[in-house]
Formats: sequence, C-alpha cells, structure tokens
Amino acid sequence: MNQLDIKYDNNFIENLNLKLKKETPLSSWELFKLAYDAEMFTLTPNFDGLIAVNHLPHLKPLPHQIKAAKQVVENMNGRAILADEVGLGKTIEAGLILKEYMVRGLAKKILILVPASLVNQWVKELNEKFYIPAIAYRKNYSWEHCDVIIASLDTAKREPHQEDILQIDYDFIIIDEAHKLKNHRTKNYSFVKQLKKKYCLLLTATPIQNKLIEIFNLVSILKPGHLGNYESFKKKYDKQSNHTDKQYLKQLIQKVMVRHTREQTTMSSSKRKIKTVWINFSPEEQAFYSKLDKDTYSSPLVKLTLLREICSSREACFMSFKKIMEKQNQENNSNLVHNFIIEIEQLPHHAKAKKVIDLVQKIGDEKVIIFTEYRATQYYLQWYLQQHGISSVPFRGGFKTGKKDWMQKIFKDHAQVLIATEAAGEGINLQFANHLINYDLPWNPMRLEQRIGRIHRYGQEKDVYIYNLAILNTVEEHIMKTLYDKLNLFEGVIGKIDDILAELKLNNLETEVKNIYRQSETSGEMKIKLDNLTSIIQGQTLSESGDQYGTV
Amino acid sequence: MALSNLNQFLKTFFTTHECRILSREEGVFTVQLTEEMDKALMNRPFYWHYMKKMGKTGDPMQLTFITNSEKREYKGEWIHFGSPRLQQIIHHLKEKERYTKLYQKDISAQNKALYPWLVTNIKISYIGKQMKEELFSIGLNLVNGMMRTKMMDLLKNISLQMTIPDYCYSISPIIMPKSGYKRIENVLKQYIQDQNHQWAEESLRTLDSELKLLHHFYKDNQDENEEQLLKEEMDLKNRYQPTIKLQVVNGGIFYLSKSLT
Repeated sequence: MNQLDIKYDNNFIENLNLKLKKETPLSSWELFKLAYDAEMFTLTPNFDGLIAVNHLPHLKPLPHQIKAAKQVVENMNGRAILADEVGLGKTIEAGLILKEYMVRGLAKKILILVPASLVNQWVKELNEKFYIPAIAYRKNYSWEHCDVIIASLDTAKREPHQEDILQIDYDFIIIDEAHKLKNHRTKNYSFVKQLKKKYCLLLTATPIQNKLIEIFNLVSILKPGHLGNYESFKKKYDKQSNHTDKQYLKQLIQKVMVRHTREQTTMSSSKRKIKTVWINFSPEEQAFYSKLDKDTYSSPLVKLTLLREICSSREACFMSFKKIMEKQNQENNSNLVHNFIIEIEQLPHHAKAKKVIDLVQKIGDEKVIIFTEYRATQYYLQWYLQQHGISSVPFRGGFKTGKKDWMQKIFKDHAQVLIATEAAGEGINLQFANHLINYDLPWNPMRLEQRIGRIHRYGQEKDVYIYNLAILNTVEEHIMKTLYDKLNLFEGVIGKIDDILAELKLNNLETEVKNIYRQSETSGEMKIKLDNLTSIIQGQTLSESGDQYGTV
Repeated sequence: MALSNLNQFLKTFFTTHECRILSREEGVFTVQLTEEMDKALMNRPFYWHYMKKMGKTGDPMQLTFITNSEKREYKGEWIHFGSPRLQQIIHHLKEKERYTKLYQKDISAQNKALYPWLVTNIKISYIGKQMKEELFSIGLNLVNGMMRTKMMDLLKNISLQMTIPDYCYSISPIIMPKSGYKRIENVLKQYIQDQNHQWAEESLRTLDSELKLLHHFYKDNQDENEEQLLKEEMDLKNRYQPTIKLQVVNGGIFYLSKSLT
C-alpha cells in the first residue's frame, strides 16, 4: 500500500533531551516498568471482538445483546439502528457499543440525546453499569468542554445550544426514541442531520409505524444513499411495491438495523440437548392398546383421549373409564366399559414409568423435573418413584402461591424430582435444575415451550437436557414423528409457528391435530393428513424467514 | 495480556509512591495514601487548598481495595480491570512515567564501564474500520549502533538505579539520542511498510463505496445541499480513512554493562 498515512511521534525525543538537560526528576525503574505493563494490558491486540466486556465484569449482558453489539462494531462500522422490542435492553446494547469504541480510543467526544424524562436514567446507567463518566446537561455547562454529555433533543436543538453543538466534531452520537426523527421535514430531523459525527446509534422500538418512508429517513441519517435518494425511494417502495422489491429492501435494511423480538431472546447461552426416548409397551399393554384402538363404541374424540391416557398410565385411563361408567351407568353397554376396567387393573407397571426410574437413576444426583398431562399419572409416578427410593414433590398450577413456593423450596433443598402436571405458567423458576423429562407430550406446542421455559431461561448456566418419552406403535409415535420432529418444535421456534398458524388462518395446533384424528377413518389417512399439515407449516416457515426488517 | 496479578501491580504502585499497606488478607487490602497520592487520586482539590490556606498539614485518606470478587461485600472498592480506580491509576502511570535515565548496578568488579542505550517503548495503532495496536520495546546502543528488540524483557532481569553506582563510569554516546531515535523510527517504518495492509484496503474500499452512495443520494439537488454533502464526506473520511499512529509510551537513556549485550 503506498498511500498509507503514518503519524509519527515528534515530541518524545525532544522532551527527553530537555528533561535530561534540565535534570528534572525522572521515573524510577519500578514505575517506568509499571507504566509499560499498564500499556501492555490495556493494549488492543485485535481488530475484531468485543473487549468492552472485559472491562465490565459485573455486567452480565444477555447473549442477544452481545451479539447485537458485535454486529454493530464488526459489520456495521459503528452506525446502526437498534430496534429491539421494548424491554430487551437497547440501552445495554448501546452502552456496550459505546464502551467498545471508548476502550479502543476511537470515541472521546460523545453526545447522547434522549427524551427529557430519561436523561437521569441514562446518566445513572452509563455511570453505574458501564463506568462511562456521562453527565447530564445543566444550564451554563459548556458543550465544548464536556466529553460525554446527555441532553434532551429539545434542549439541544434550541439556540444558543444548537449553534454550539453543530460546531463540535463528535466521535459518537446516540439518539434514543429515534422514531421522533422519522419525518424529514421537522426541525428535529434537520438538526440531527447536520450533526458532525463518526459513529451513531439510533434507538427505537418501532422503526416503522406507518410508512416505509419513515425507515428511509432514519437510514438516511446513518448512511445517506444506502436506500437510494428520496425520489427514487418514494417511487419504488412507498406505493404498492411488489414482493421482490420488498425482499430486497429488507435485505438492505438488515445491513443497518438490528432487531430482536422477545421470542428470539428467551435463549440463554445454555443449549438444549434434546433426546427422544422410544419405549415399547409390554405385550399385555400392547394388546390392551390395540383392543382399545379397535373399539368402535366410543366417539373418536373420547377414544383418542383414552389412547393418550393409556400411553401415560393405567391410572389416567382408569379414571376416564370410571367417569364414563358413572355417566352411562344405566345404559347397557356399560358391560363393555366394565371389561376394560377389569383389564386395566390387571396390567403390569407401566413401561414408561419403568423407563423413568431408569432415567432418573442414570442422571444420578442431579435434579429432575417430570412433566405429565394427567393428575392420575402424577400420583402414580410419585408413589412409584418412592417405591424405588427416589424422593419427589408434586406441583400443580392449582396450588396457592405459598404452597408453590414451599414445594419449590423442598424440591431445591431436599427432593430429587419434581413432578408437575402443568407448566403453571409464571411464578415458578427452576433454573437450578437442568434435566426435564416430558413424560407425555402436550399437543399444544405452546405448552411445551412453557415447560422448557421453566428451566431454560436467563440464569440457566448449564446446558438443558430434555428427554421426551414416547411409546412406539401408538398415537404418541405419530405426534412425535409428524409434528415435533418435523417442525423442530423443541428448538424454541414455537413463537414463529404461532404467527404462521395465524397467517394460515388455522387454529392452534392442538385443535388441528384433534380434528385430523376425529375425521380420519384409518391411521394411514391420518398420517397423510398430518403430513400435509406439517408441510404447509414448513412451507410457510421458509417463506417467512427473511421476512423481517433488521438483523436478528 | 490479562491483568493476572492485580494485587502485585497495585502493591508496587503504592509502595513505590511511599504509601504504606496497612492490612492484607487474601483479596482485600488497605493503603494509607500520602499527600501526593491523595492529591493524585482522590479528587478533592478544595480540601487541600483549604488546608494549605489554614497552614495545616491535612489528613490523607485510606483506600481499601477488594481484588477478589467473591469478597465484594467487604467495605471497600472492588477493583478490577475496568474499574474507574484502576483506569485512573493506569492513566496516572502513563501520564507521569514517560521519561527516565537509569544505571545498571551490581556489575562485575573488572568492568566498570557503562554503555549508553536509548530505550523506547513504542505503540503502533492501526486505525481503519476497526483498530488494533502493537507494542514494541526497542533499544539502541548509542556507541556502536546495535539495536535490540524486546528490550524490556532483558531489563527486567537486572537491577537498575537512578544514580551512577560507585566506581563506575559512563561512556559518552557517539550517536546522539535524536538521531538514534530516527534509526528506531526508520526500522518501524520499514516494518510497517513490509506488512500486508488488507485492513486498510478494506477500509478504503468501504470509504469509496459509501462516498458513491452519498453522491447518489444528493445527485438531484447537489447545489442546494452542498454544505450538507461536504459535512457527510468529512464524516465518512474521519470514520474510514486508514491511519497508522506511532506513539512512544515511554523511554529513556539506560547505562548498561558491556556483558549484558
């Protein structure tokens, strides 16, 4: 390279000569060496990477925040729109990026414009979380002499401030609530456009509210011309634009915008290790299952329920039969039901329960959570575990808060296993455990995600092991193979699936699957229908990916 | 390089500044500051001004540092790589400890001559889209012109003092420090030119393409927006123009025995 611009240090040797002549006090060896060491460990040895995090050991940024910061520093060269959904920590991302440029010595003069009500919060966060000595603008402060200053946009754009500010060469500018800049005819917009700046972050949770021209205006602050000029953009996109144009536009926007939605960020750095455990019924159980499957007496839906229950436990199935019997006591067919009940009573211990004992013993000393759909199974499992010397506590959504806390505490301090019937939504965080057994799978994948979310959440430091039990040659096998495996439902894509179903005008997955079961004559037909359903969803997933503004 | 031994680093800093270490247990220690250090670190100029006015001696403060993050509940400052206090100390060192003149001591009885060396620790910063730095420690024998790298590693193994030891004498330099420094600078210049500067090329490419975008943006109404256009051009150049910066971290004249080199 011939046009390299090299700046030399012309002062050092002159100063050294001067100091030697004047016999001024010089450094001792210890301090001289210490200064060298200090330089050594504050050195930036690589172009890439986030070194700011080494300076902030008390801050534990979420993975998506680190990723966003890296992306802005490494790929977007310090100018970006941060457009995460509310509450995902855009301030943390902005702080990380700012800190990075400060640590690397690339940003000294910094201006941060935020709504008046947020000024103090920003000051506090930057000082406490990032050790960035930011100060809030006060009357009679000089813009020139403050290195890191936070002010409201309204103050900054007023004279005489505006004039002072526009004189200054800023290294770094942050604008919070930047959707206030979406109209290019406003004073806000033209003021910001005139600021002299190297790096710049625009923070907004809603980059596009109504028209595409709004995002054009935001991007034009960061990278004028990136989306073309005003006229060409308006012509091309603001009216009815075709699909290809839109895709292209989205790609362009991804180069200057980082956006995470809540659903994408529940992940922590811990990974999901998913294992499907296939189980064979004992011959007796299999015979009973087949007989139940062939039975033409009950309605398809009732039969389906019974089939699912017998895959869980004798007890669950027994309870349903008992209910049926009570209801139909007077009718003549009760004899048939009675026969089933007698047969259930003679079945051996459930193949799945045996497998659970196996699994828990293999996992060893670590905590295990078991989820089942049925309360009867829950009782049975607790008893069966106890028979094998394994301590467990039950957990149900219906418990009162105090009892929930109590059970959670017993589980944490004393018991090895927690058996839950319902994810019980919020209010229970079990990230101290990292083994989860899905004793039977819910047909509503949202519920599955809630289950996993109890242990796979922020604060989980280990990898999470998920064991899915399913019995071969039963309805469970169908569901597992056609739904869960094919759609990768264990990988946390469920939020997306939900959107897709809405887009396809389908109900939730559970209802769809039940309908298929109800309306199918043979298991072959059912399989084809399930296949069709998953194919539609898969197809939609593919066309949806990339259908989002901003990088994730 | 990680700051592996923060305890040792801080202890050396304070003891060489004549501060007493009062109490030490694993991960926590207290320092009694001197007046000089209090002024340098505690940021209370009014207090010292007032004391001086009143003709009083003033009361330097004590600082308690926690270096083990598990003991953060102790009363004191948790000090770690990014903590403001450590950054302040580092800044203080870089600012104050730039120039020196030192003599080797404990040299053998036969050879009492000490040869002058110019020792410079030089940081090279490569600034483009991103930046990185390198640190060199280079010494030049001012009598015979011999040059050595990793000079600090060599010096760490000997004893040095600020005055010439008894019965020793120093040889006068034949090469003047200023021209010696030029030689060092030239070697680094050559080193820089021999490198593959892909980072700079990439940075220039980005600059070029963004300049093109910019001109496209204003192509229809260039005249009325000339000022804005010039500003944006400047912004881009400030951000992407690749630059290499040489900066002497610290350096000085070292008088060393012949056997050492």
